Amino acid sequence: MWFSSARSASVRKEPVGVPTLVEPRVHRSLALAALFDEIRGRKVTVLDLGSAVGSNVDFLSQYGCKLYIEDLYAALSSRFSSGEGDDLADPEFFAEFLSLPEDTRFDVILAWDLFNYLRRKELASFGELLRRYTQPGALAFVLMSYHKQIPAQPYRFKIQDEGTLVYDRRTAAERPSPRFVPYEVTGLLKGFQVGRSFLLQHGIQEYLLVRE
Amino acid sequence: MAWKRDDSPTPSHPEPAPVAPPRPVPTAAGPAPVTSEPPRRVERATIGPSIFIKGDLSGEEDLVIEGRVEGKVDLKQNNVTVGKNGKVKADVFGRVVTIEGEVDGNVIAREQAILRQSGAIRGNITAPRVVLEDGSRFKGSIDMEPPREAAASPAVVRPVESREPVRQPELPREPVRPEPAGVKASV
Repeated sequence: MWFSSARSASVRKEPVGVPTLVEPRVHRSLALAALFDEIRGRKVTVLDLGSAVGSNVDFLSQYGCKLYIEDLYAALSSRFSSGEGDDLADPEFFAEFLSLPEDTRFDVILAWDLFNYLRRKELASFGELLRRYTQPGALAFVLMSYHKQIPAQPYRFKIQDEGTLVYDRRTAAERPSPRFVPYEVTGLLKGFQVGRSFLLQHGIQEYLLVRE
Repeated sequence: MAWKRDDSPTPSHPEPAPVAPPRPVPTAAGPAPVTSEPPRRVERATIGPSIFIKGDLSGEEDLVIEGRVEGKVDLKQNNVTVGKNGKVKADVFGRVVTIEGEVDGNVIAREQAILRQSGAIRGNITAPRVVLEDGSRFKGSIDMEPPREAAASPAVVRPVESREPVRQPELPREPVRPEPAGVKASV
């Protein structure tokens, strides 16, 4: 079934047998605040690449937006568990993952920290796809880690208010971080440029990318 | 018959027990007569776990689906629940639509759509109010524009933490039914 494998598997050999309960942490988000400043008063179409989080749906409802939820990590997980191994996810995989009507255009992409879980070629492929589904002026909210290690699974982010995010860690297990630097981000995500960028004290670089 | 009537509460999310009306305070003139309303009869059909229906469903009573349905479920005036064992491969129309099982299709609710923790939807949700429980699986879009007939009330989407029980709201019932209603399957 279409969801069955996504829950149990994890992308790329997550260590097993580690505690999974980690207290959520609350952090300010300057890029998120900048994002909401940009979309206030507009009816926007949002692509959320994270898992379905009720409180985020609730929060975004006040903007009267149309929200698409496409859980990228779950898709990658199911691909891994289906026996396709540790190979690079190719453009066809991403095209199947985000198979939407051709005229779909997103104004906002909530990528959260998911790009930390893509390899460079994968990020380039996915960026190409995102470019197809956006038009100039579209915004992408992206979090990149500067830590050497990141959680083995992406955080579940909950929007507490326009400038505050709850980082809900799903596992205590860790994996190496790709540590993308700013020029790599825009180099790989062609068609996007950095609109705003904030390096936060907890080692997260926030980007608000703008589609050129 | 492909379905059976089930007048008992849904086991996984029972409706709250009816609240007894306040007891009249005795006065010096003597105790007031005790009045009690007859319990509201909940008419609800259930498609059992072993049932597979291929075809459209329509009707005028609430429906719980624990089996498999491949065809449009059209109960716009009534509540539809896809139970934990239920699998629907088609669009689901209802007043309050609650998904505990799997739906591969669009969910269109006149009042509210609820995706519980155990539930999964691959399709689009259109409803003035949407509840997504954390841990539920959803792939598709949520259109938060209220439908025209509900445009007077603003769109509200309520989050629900997975541990918090959610009660399906009591909905006003049609006072008179001219004839026994049923859920019809047009195959």
